[in-house]
Amino acid sequence: MTTMLRSTPSKHARKATGLRGRPLLRTSYDQDLTLANTPAKRRSVIALVIASFVVPFLLTDDLLQVLTLGMISAVGAIGLNLVTGYAGQVSLGHAFFIGVGAYTGAVLGGDPDGALLGYGLPMWIWLPAAGVVAAIAGLLVGPLAVRLRGLYLAIVTLGLVFLGDHIFREARNITGGPGVGRRGAELELFGIDFASMEPISGLSRGQAQFFLGLVFLIVFAILGRNIARSGVGPAFGAVRDRDVAAAVIGVDLTKYKVMAFAMSSFFAGVTGALYYAVIGVFEPGAFSLLLSIQYLAMVLIGGVATISGSIMGALFIALLPRISQFIAHYIPGELLTVFQLEAILYGLLIMGFLIFEPRGLFGIWTRIRNYWKGWPFSY
Amino acid sequence: MKQHRKLARVVAGAAVAALVLTGCRGGGDDTEAGPGVTEEACPEAVNEDNGCIYLGAISDLTKGPFAPLAVPITEAQKAFWDKVNQDGGVGGFDVNIDKYVADAEYNPEIHNKKYQEMRNDILALGQTLGSSQTLAILEDMKADNVIGVPASWNSAWDFEDQILQSGANYCFEAMNGVDWAVANRGVKGKVLAIHYPNDYGGDAAAGVEAAAKANNLDFKAIETATGQDNQAGAVAAVLKEKPSMLYITTGPAEMATILGGAAAQGWKGTVVGSSPTWNPALLQTEAAPALEAMYFQAGPWGPWGTESDGHAAMRDALADVDSPSDGYTAGWVWEYPLLAALKAAADMDGGITRENVVKAATELDSVDYEGMLPDEAFNQTGEPNDVAWRQSVISKVDKEAPTGVSIEQEMQAGPTAEGYDYTEPCFALG
Repeated sequence: MTTMLRSTPSKHARKATGLRGRPLLRTSYDQDLTLANTPAKRRSVIALVIASFVVPFLLTDDLLQVLTLGMISAVGAIGLNLVTGYAGQVSLGHAFFIGVGAYTGAVLGGDPDGALLGYGLPMWIWLPAAGVVAAIAGLLVGPLAVRLRGLYLAIVTLGLVFLGDHIFREARNITGGPGVGRRGAELELFGIDFASMEPISGLSRGQAQFFLGLVFLIVFAILGRNIARSGVGPAFGAVRDRDVAAAVIGVDLTKYKVMAFAMSSFFAGVTGALYYAVIGVFEPGAFSLLLSIQYLAMVLIGGVATISGSIMGALFIALLPRISQFIAHYIPGELLTVFQLEAILYGLLIMGFLIFEPRGLFGIWTRIRNYWKGWPFSY
Repeated sequence: MKQHRKLARVVAGAAVAALVLTGCRGGGDDTEAGPGVTEEACPEAVNEDNGCIYLGAISDLTKGPFAPLAVPITEAQKAFWDKVNQDGGVGGFDVNIDKYVADAEYNPEIHNKKYQEMRNDILALGQTLGSSQTLAILEDMKADNVIGVPASWNSAWDFEDQILQSGANYCFEAMNGVDWAVANRGVKGKVLAIHYPNDYGGDAAAGVEAAAKANNLDFKAIETATGQDNQAGAVAAVLKEKPSMLYITTGPAEMATILGGAAAQGWKGTVVGSSPTWNPALLQTEAAPALEAMYFQAGPWGPWGTESDGHAAMRDALADVDSPSDGYTAGWVWEYPLLAALKAAADMDGGITRENVVKAATELDSVDYEGMLPDEAFNQTGEPNDVAWRQSVISKVDKEAPTGVSIEQEMQAGPTAEGYDYTEPCFALG
């Protein structure tokens, strides 16, 4: 890992060129492909990770849960960004794959004595299994993407959401049915019960779940970044930008499109399983078109075809209800209740963002970064 | 443009910073009494010298099927505790049910989420609306020692110490509704229970089934989803089965759609609805004539206009209300047991804490409802079979009455409910 994070030329290369201290000059593909390709990136990523581990000691549990759920959905957003951002295949079907993962997780990891189907398997089985089952669903859908693109693909994947919605509503011994729902999988890993209200070696439930979410996000963010920076990422980009040209230069369209769907679904599956295990209770209505749209919003608000953008977008969307709640309390009004105001603000914030900052949070970040890069001569 | 951006960024930054700061850990809100009780006075306190007890309310305030009832319920509960505060509060504390109000849209998932948000800040739940919704948080409530006042009447609550239920549950209510219809409306042949596919609907349908069996009626249950657009199947079932009676357990709008739809196609009979199926606004709809002719409401207590001290106190406290509904009545009645539990806990060692309130609640063997219900209607101390309250009232549509219904049959238990062997909840999903 440490060697991957390093971006300075190898000893051999340094000796040959004397390029020490010129971080932006790359003399090999290896350097270009490293995980963090500038020292600043390396340092800031490490600082960010350390800072994230401090966060739980500063915030209250209710806010921590919002952030935990945000970090978990960030993995789903990375998944959607792989298929939609990197590979350019518009998918409205993300909610379906999240649902498949959520129910796989809940069935495999659910209470075996409960009213609904549950096998009580440990987390290290149900979490990957949720991803795998969702990925299989993605593999089945993938071939459709080979034949369709753009809006047509969007409509077909939209169909998936309705199909899933119907199945989830009717399969009541698995899902509990609409208006009732079921409990998610049991959050127990290495003998630690993350759902317990008792403090876990001094950590509250909110803190423990935050760490779980953080580790989960780090693992999948690195995985996502690795997919994007290895050969697969550029192949996805070629498919997105001009699929005919990509085919001509030897990119196997079928393979990469199916791969994009399968990978994205895997991310969605694990997200679904963990997200609803943390939430505790969920009902089939959760996996509607709205959820797909929400994930698309995360990708668009965060930044298309960026991993860090997906994370920022997911955290933003997760915090949005809290932000609008906060603002709504300061707007006096007799006509609307706080709850109606919250709903309206939520919509306005999304619209405002796309109008004023179409490049997303990642765009804002780039601008801030460039400002400080040239400081004090930035203009 | 640049200026705007800067401004927008400053505002967004300030909002985020404020959000972060308000959420800071270790704010020191908690006194020794624990979560939900502070030495500090409530916001906009009636008695500045009193401490403050925070109650949560998780309701259905915007999009859900019970919003027309739940908004009045929540209003009435605010008025109830406001009156308690004006009378001096409880054990040196004012009670606030205003700060932690959440809208869960009648969705168990959102309900659970909202509970998680407030679980460290409240002493108890002054309202948790919905049966399946409350079941979704029940385990956590038990782990937290939080008691709750349900905005529902479910037979499951008679078997739960931490849920303080007032009035007869949906199951007994349905038995009483069917018994009454058989005796007074000449119902025979077939009875159809049309219900939501959740714990609310299931509980009532189980009661209808028991009563149908006792009265030698054919019984059939039809499940129907929330939303007025989704009632075509239920209407078709009524026309196909041609029952002489419907027992409906849905939201008000769904009930009116089913009844109106069936009546428009020539079906005639008796319709009895569970208590949450009525909302006076239905009298403004096209279904009004059919409702007047066929609809009756089984309910746990007298409507808004009933004569009793409690009803009068409620009408006084809510004098500003333009259009009364029995959401107000229910919201008001439900709070009495919680008040009794808080009063009892105040006299215990350690005063008002979550643990003491739970203990006090389980020891309550009667509650002063100021005549809205008999005192013995609430009893947590015995076996449910011995102490559960089985009496309901039946109301008819009455355009002149303030909430559009007036009592047809005073509070009593029918033979089915009287004789029912109540050793477990009528219904459990799964």
